[in-house]
Amino acid sequence: MGGNALAIAVQLAGLVMAPLLPGTIQTIKARLQGRRGASPLQPYRDLRRLWRKQSVTPYDTTFVYRMAPSLSAAALACAVLVVPVGASTIGWFGSDMLVVIGLLALARFSTAAAAWDPGGGFSLMGAGRDLMFSVFAEPLLLLALVLVAAGPHSTDLVRMVAAAGDAHVASTPAHWCAALAFGLVVLVETGRQPIDNPDTHLELTMVHEGPLLEYAGRDLAMLQWTAAARHWLVLVLAAGLFVPLPQTAPWNMLALAAVVTALCALVAVVESSLAKMRILRVPALLGAGVATCMIGLASWIAQGAT
Amino acid sequence: MTTSAWVLIVGAAVATAGIAVSVVPRGLRAGLALQAFGVALTGVAGAMVVIGAAGVGSQFSNGLGPTVGVDPLSGFFLAAIALVSTPALVYARGYLLGSHHAPAIAAASGVFVLALVGVVVARDAVTFLVMWELMSVAPAVAILLASRSADTCRAVLVYLGSTHLAGVGVWLAMLTLAHLGAFTDLHALAAQPTLVRSLLAGAALVGFGTKAGLMPLHSWLPRAHPAAPSHVSAVMSGMMIKVALYGLVRMLFEWLAPLPGWVAPVLLGAAALSCVAGVLYALMQHELKRLLAFHSVENVGIIALGLAAALLAADAGQLQLAALAFAAAMLHTLNHALFKSLLFLCAGSFQRQVGTLDLDRLGGLLRTMPLTGTAFLAGSMAIAGVPPFNGFASEWLTLQALVQLALHGGPAGTALGALAAAALAATAALAVFCFVKVVGLVLLGAHRQKAVANSHEVSVSMTGPVIFLAGLCLAIGVVPGVVLGPIGHLSPYGPLPASALGITLVVPGSGAFAPLAVAAFIAGCTVALRLARRQAGSAAPSPMWICGQVPDSRLAWSSAGFTKSLRLVLAIVLRPRRTVSIELDGVVVHSVVHESEVPHLFDELLFRPVVRGVLAASRLLRRTQSGSLRAYLTYLLVTLAVVLAVARIGVS
Repeated sequence: MGGNALAIAVQLAGLVMAPLLPGTIQTIKARLQGRRGASPLQPYRDLRRLWRKQSVTPYDTTFVYRMAPSLSAAALACAVLVVPVGASTIGWFGSDMLVVIGLLALARFSTAAAAWDPGGGFSLMGAGRDLMFSVFAEPLLLLALVLVAAGPHSTDLVRMVAAAGDAHVASTPAHWCAALAFGLVVLVETGRQPIDNPDTHLELTMVHEGPLLEYAGRDLAMLQWTAAARHWLVLVLAAGLFVPLPQTAPWNMLALAAVVTALCALVAVVESSLAKMRILRVPALLGAGVATCMIGLASWIAQGAT
Repeated sequence: MTTSAWVLIVGAAVATAGIAVSVVPRGLRAGLALQAFGVALTGVAGAMVVIGAAGVGSQFSNGLGPTVGVDPLSGFFLAAIALVSTPALVYARGYLLGSHHAPAIAAASGVFVLALVGVVVARDAVTFLVMWELMSVAPAVAILLASRSADTCRAVLVYLGSTHLAGVGVWLAMLTLAHLGAFTDLHALAAQPTLVRSLLAGAALVGFGTKAGLMPLHSWLPRAHPAAPSHVSAVMSGMMIKVALYGLVRMLFEWLAPLPGWVAPVLLGAAALSCVAGVLYALMQHELKRLLAFHSVENVGIIALGLAAALLAADAGQLQLAALAFAAAMLHTLNHALFKSLLFLCAGSFQRQVGTLDLDRLGGLLRTMPLTGTAFLAGSMAIAGVPPFNGFASEWLTLQALVQLALHGGPAGTALGALAAAALAATAALAVFCFVKVVGLVLLGAHRQKAVANSHEVSVSMTGPVIFLAGLCLAIGVVPGVVLGPIGHLSPYGPLPASALGITLVVPGSGAFAPLAVAAFIAGCTVALRLARRQAGSAAPSPMWICGQVPDSRLAWSSAGFTKSLRLVLAIVLRPRRTVSIELDGVVVHSVVHESEVPHLFDELLFRPVVRGVLAASRLLRRTQSGSLRAYLTYLLVTLAVVLAVARIGVS
């Protein structure tokens, strides 16, 4: 029970610790590029600066535009509280993987719809691309999760995370195919290279940053936190589902922290070594992920399915 | 007689009286009100049977005399018909004011709704088929009364043609089943050879599948639904295609058992195709009602996915899972009926006020029509399947059923379940894409033409029904367990586990989903953050930043622009056409004409060759029609000789 309490405390703290992850990635990336870079705490400083500023709302906007930042932040906060940490979850909202997919869709719907309200071309370009990616990323995420669920025979994230330590599960080819596919999902959801460049200041190339262009002040702070929470969500999920961690507190939390940091470093390495793809080539990459899942599916069936 | 029987009879009588009253002079309002009240009563009777009252009337009979009755499955569809039709008929009061032939259209819509009721209460083949045909013809009458343009006439021709051709399947299946006595004796069919059962299942799939709009038999649907007056479109899209699914459910789950092995995989394949291709074509549409019609194809696909999953799970011996999949399909039937009729009614209000439903010519309607606009936004979120609306609840259950099928259904179940789940996930993402586009182009942004800027909110009789439907969409999304309880009893595989029916949905083999807690948390969190945001204050509103240019609504993004990236990526499947003709005056560009369209490949590659073949065959046949009396006498003589010869040889 003590271990559970710690894990749930970490899960709640995730709402606060989320900005640490993009900060860490940026720091490691700067080091890899031979710069000293900002501290991992830089996102907090940005949030503090934005929180003190007034917002600016464009003409002719409705409540859809004004509600979008708080609604997406709320959806992501809810999703963070669904994703288990160390095989336990707070349990208010259940722990089903399909709920997480739905909440991500809600956040995507609200930001993309809000892009239509001021109607700026750059925002809409980004929103359209983001939605186009999701058409390929969502089946990919689902297939990967189905392959992971094959081990514990359940779509309950708590049981899926608990089963990750099972040698029988971790050694199946299907599980490894799922891990590869999930890696692509991590890159799409966090908006990292080679799929999207989070550091870009050129509006024409923006994907995730595009719909954020008109926002300022606290609105922008909420949206930036939402992006950070998406990092937390997929990286904690990746660590839980694919890395066998110790089961006892407090070692499981320390191991989780180490693994998430390592995953941040991995994302930074991928981002430093790969150039951004042409946007229209991204679906081919995600399609390769789907093909990987198909191989995993075939191997699972070959092993006797159930 | 029981109370529910009386309620049903009184409801039907009141609705019939309403039809009569609506055609007398000055009787339109009273007639529609009576129709709405009567249909509501039939729905109450249906709901009473679903939640446990004794069944009404007789059981199914193999005879040909007219018999009617209500069992829980019929009761569920009666309730759904009432939930859709009552708001639609109330809405029609405001909608039909001042339009041509209003009394006749009102009467036709009343007959249409009663025909729907008739199909689900019919308890013998003849009543069923008569009501079935009436259900097909009545909306065609309403469409032609409302508009006689060449396009509309063509749409009605395609609609009547394809539903009647496919109706042969329904007739064949129903009459053969009555002949074999399969309505009463559920083992009668088991004695028949597989070929007979396969032919019957094929006839039922084609007949009911066409009417339900399952791909590739859907071609009439995106033509007919947009042509109808909006309240009729709402009932057509909301309930008529569901009544076809009711027929399919009766066939597949009751009368045709045991099913030949190919039926469930074929249904799953057609359903997955309907989902993905339906929403993909919806995304490429530029006209709101046509777009909504393609979404009906998608949602029928989602329901059929649930039904196919139930059949596959039952084959694999997973009865609990089969019950879950069946309940998911029924819940999505109800949910789609609610949000689709809501969207069609809102589209009618927009058309009333603006005069067009061309997506690229609307914009900013949320500011001029706040109530209808907000209801439309709720319906869009529901159909896009985002929490906390009802679309998510039933899509969650359907996905859950498919994933569980993959986990427990044996090798075939694994492959089919995982692929279908991936198709449904892609469908959900495409639906979000599509309704972001619709919400943006219709409700948000700058007005794109004067008529939109001058539009104002419609009357209470038109806003009331849509707000009611939007409220239901939200309520079922927040507490799906409440409706899932009675729906769970409809399945032939026994009731759902009690854990799946509470405030928190716990499906065996899945994590829990607490829709009420999710909705409350999101609402609370959003409001708190919004208040925090207000504290910081806002600077004066400013124009949007587009690199220093002045915003110009003529440069606003269009439907085609927003979806361009996906159209380019999927060019190989969609085969979009694009022509740009530039008129030069010397070296100066005088004008540029740009045309683009995404052709409907099912029409072009599948139906056009068939139509061409039929026309060629009829040209050949026409040669025999010389018009000379002697030729026809010869034909008669030859026919007689052949018949006599056959009778003599004795071909049975």
